[in-house]
Amino acid sequence: MKKKKTPIKAKPNTSGGICDAAMAKAKLDAGQYKEAIELYKQLLKQADNKEWRSALALCYLKRAMSLAEKGMIKEAVVLWENYQQNAEPPYQGYDSYIGWLLQINNAAKVAACFGRLSAQQLDEHYPNLAALLGLLIVTEKPELEAMLPTDSQFITHLVSVRAALAAYRNNEPEAVEQALKQLPFRSAFRDFRTLLKAALLLPGSVEQAQALLTKIPVTSPYYQAGKLLLAATYDGLALIDELLQCEQKTRQLIGTIKKFSKKQLELLDMLVKQKDRLSDKIKFNCALQYRELFGEDLTKAYCLAALATYPAGQRDFNKHFGAMDEFEQCRLMALNYERNNDFHSSDYYWQQGISQLKKQGESGAFKIALIMRHIARHQPSPEEGVEWLVESLDYDPDSRETYLKILRHYEQEQEEKGLYKQWLDRGMKAFPQDVDLLAQAIKAATANKAFKKAAQYAKTLLKIDPVNTFAKQVLFTSHLAHARKLIKTKKFHLVEKEIQQAEKLTLGKRYQNQAQLLRGFFVMLAEDKKQGLQKIAEAAEKMNDGSACGYFCVVVEALLMGLSLSSVQKELPQPPKKYQLSEQEIGRLVQIVQQYYGDDKSNAAVLHQALEKIKVIIKQSIKQKTVSEQTLLTLAECLDNIGHYELLGHCAKIALIQWKKPIWLFYKFYAEVDGCAYQCSSFNIERLQFNYARARDDSDHRTAMRIKLFIDEYYEDQYPFGDEDFEDFDEDEEDDDFDPFTGGSPMDLFEHLPTAVFEKLQKKLQDIMKKSSPERVINTINKSLSKPIDVSFFMFKPDAFVALLMLQAAAELGIDTGVTGDQIIEFGEIEEDSKPPSFPFF
Amino acid sequence: MKTPYQILEAPEQASDAEIKQAYLQKVKQFPPDHHHEQFQQVQQAYEAIKDLESRTQYALFTVPEADFNGLLKQAFSSGPAPSISVEHFEKLLCASVDNKIFNIAASETVTAR
Repeated sequence: MKKKKTPIKAKPNTSGGICDAAMAKAKLDAGQYKEAIELYKQLLKQADNKEWRSALALCYLKRAMSLAEKGMIKEAVVLWENYQQNAEPPYQGYDSYIGWLLQINNAAKVAACFGRLSAQQLDEHYPNLAALLGLLIVTEKPELEAMLPTDSQFITHLVSVRAALAAYRNNEPEAVEQALKQLPFRSAFRDFRTLLKAALLLPGSVEQAQALLTKIPVTSPYYQAGKLLLAATYDGLALIDELLQCEQKTRQLIGTIKKFSKKQLELLDMLVKQKDRLSDKIKFNCALQYRELFGEDLTKAYCLAALATYPAGQRDFNKHFGAMDEFEQCRLMALNYERNNDFHSSDYYWQQGISQLKKQGESGAFKIALIMRHIARHQPSPEEGVEWLVESLDYDPDSRETYLKILRHYEQEQEEKGLYKQWLDRGMKAFPQDVDLLAQAIKAATANKAFKKAAQYAKTLLKIDPVNTFAKQVLFTSHLAHARKLIKTKKFHLVEKEIQQAEKLTLGKRYQNQAQLLRGFFVMLAEDKKQGLQKIAEAAEKMNDGSACGYFCVVVEALLMGLSLSSVQKELPQPPKKYQLSEQEIGRLVQIVQQYYGDDKSNAAVLHQALEKIKVIIKQSIKQKTVSEQTLLTLAECLDNIGHYELLGHCAKIALIQWKKPIWLFYKFYAEVDGCAYQCSSFNIERLQFNYARARDDSDHRTAMRIKLFIDEYYEDQYPFGDEDFEDFDEDEEDDDFDPFTGGSPMDLFEHLPTAVFEKLQKKLQDIMKKSSPERVINTINKSLSKPIDVSFFMFKPDAFVALLMLQAAAELGIDTGVTGDQIIEFGEIEEDSKPPSFPFF
Repeated sequence: MKTPYQILEAPEQASDAEIKQAYLQKVKQFPPDHHHEQFQQVQQAYEAIKDLESRTQYALFTVPEADFNGLLKQAFSSGPAPSISVEHFEKLLCASVDNKIFNIAASETVTAR
């Protein structure tokens, strides 16, 4: 849009003149030269002020430069001439002016300017003009030479340039070098020298040539030539990148220099035309069209891969390279579906591929096994995955990894103990010396209290791997357990040997002391009571865990051997009643409890009894509030594991005084009802609901999930038909007309299950949540969903999340509920649309 | 993107021993202390094809990559750099003459009269 011309009023009086001058100056300073020129012209009509004229000249000069920048050269020339008329010599931008005259081919004015140009001006004052003239004289305008001062350095250097070019033409590199040496650093032909030197270095020293070419400044008239020569030194993609930026003419020049074939030039033109529109189809067709440039193998490999995103190319592919074998087609389809996370379809094509491989007989067996193991990884449930793994062994029975995977699966399945044993036997038979399988066998034997068998496996394992700590620990536990059994059954003659064998295992001081403690009991019962008691006392002291921990160990050992505590207690020093457990001792106590519990879950009762003996000490120690929250939490989790609700409640009570956190309130209520949700009061459940929300807000997912499960368990008992879930619990809300599609919980999808099954699932669900973090559970659940969920799902749709957990529990127990993960997600979405979650106290 | 075979410079029909040999050569060429990145690449390549099982896995489950740039690279890999004749050199000089070069920056020294 054209700007409106501002009317300028010339004011006759002096004060008015001053006012306009100020305005003109302001316009000049603001870079509004056009307006400033008009104002100064008006001012000069009033009076011939030297200052105003000088300012007017400056405006003309600045505007000329500005227009030249915009490519308005003719206008720039006129404005510079206006500048010259209003300015005093010496004139600024004279070299620019000559440059513009050369550009618009104004020969007369150029000649006039050159006529007034001295040698000194050309050589010293106008280096940029000299450089431009140099390039023009050696390329398009040799006639300019005659107009330039003959006594100038420029003309002398031009002679050297011509000599260098002549020598280059005659293939005399030394003479070229010699001529170029005549051009000093300040010469107008400095960049010409660099350019020619780089050209001379090719093709031998590419890197040196490239380094030289990068020295030509972007403002030099030789810059473009340097850039093109540099591009000619490139290869492959770098070359293509440069060429795509060039114009057709220069692209062809480089093509000629690089000796490109007609086909290469054609391909380049195609790439230029399609630069921003290179679709899969265009690329595929381009590959086929220029296959002679790409090579047959590379083209075939490319097209084969490109079929994944451009399946329509299959016909052309077959036409050019012949039809793919059926297995290959299936393989590519399967991989393509896998890439899009469509494992259902990928499985179909893998199975088609397996059918093809089966036709190959023995030679295809190994591939079949690998494909089956590959399919197993993407199965929605572990059971289905294991089925594939099992089948794969028919085709490749020597895969120990597969045996281990199958074993690890059945190890987790409490209901599949028989299968686990069966597969362990098969694995051990196939790989009797395998370290991992032996470790599995040891674990299984220990769990079954088959200590002798476990010890045998551990011994075998230690023969293969003498420093295997796990085997040593198992063997140690096994020896001690056996020793206890022998003491209990009074087969004293075998005990010492068993303890010695345990001691031989170099596991560290703690283990040695534990063996020593057992020896004390053995001596006390079988040899010398006094001496035995002394040994027990020494071992307990040496355990260096503080007197309470040592005493606790003595009590546990005594109970494990079925001994009367009174005799031991009478003789042995007990920790003083006001004994304080340090933070370190509490940590150690937790370790001891967990070790005994880990060795054998049935030790829980013994641990309860032993804890009774130091209960007062534990209580008064944590009452001092010197224990960190983390240590207290570790202790609480340990007590939760073994189900010691009294001490757990005490921990929670003390913790709540210091840290008002949801986990402690949960533990308080949980312990109060001995872990039985149905005994919890409705008031406490409401408080837990509030704290559930708090835990979610604090991103404490673990606590949130514990509370959620507890509350759900409560409601399941209160409302066995599942029509009221705590998430939707609202006293003001009537929910008599239950409709699964307008309200209710995704848990209702399971309501058809018999109560016994439902309870079983809930128990398993709690196990899952105790063992795993919500993030880990989500990862497992996601394997069975067509659309994965994240942690936010658990936070915002807890009901649906619990329902998914139920599904996971069912999968792990091998129970077919008839419900799918996607149904639950769908239900969750409907629920969300119809009824936003509400919480009391929220 | 290079295949493990290309990284180790081993033929696709190479045996376990030949692949190991190629791997050790590459490790010598790119010791981990000095060429950490290349070493890792070599290590990963070796893991991918070190034995029959891994090679078969690689062959079965690697999604072939449609590398169009790889094709172009191949098409314009013209070998050694060209030598520049005087005609080419002069053409390069001529190619430099465009409207931009005339707009020279005014020199600071001003003596025109």
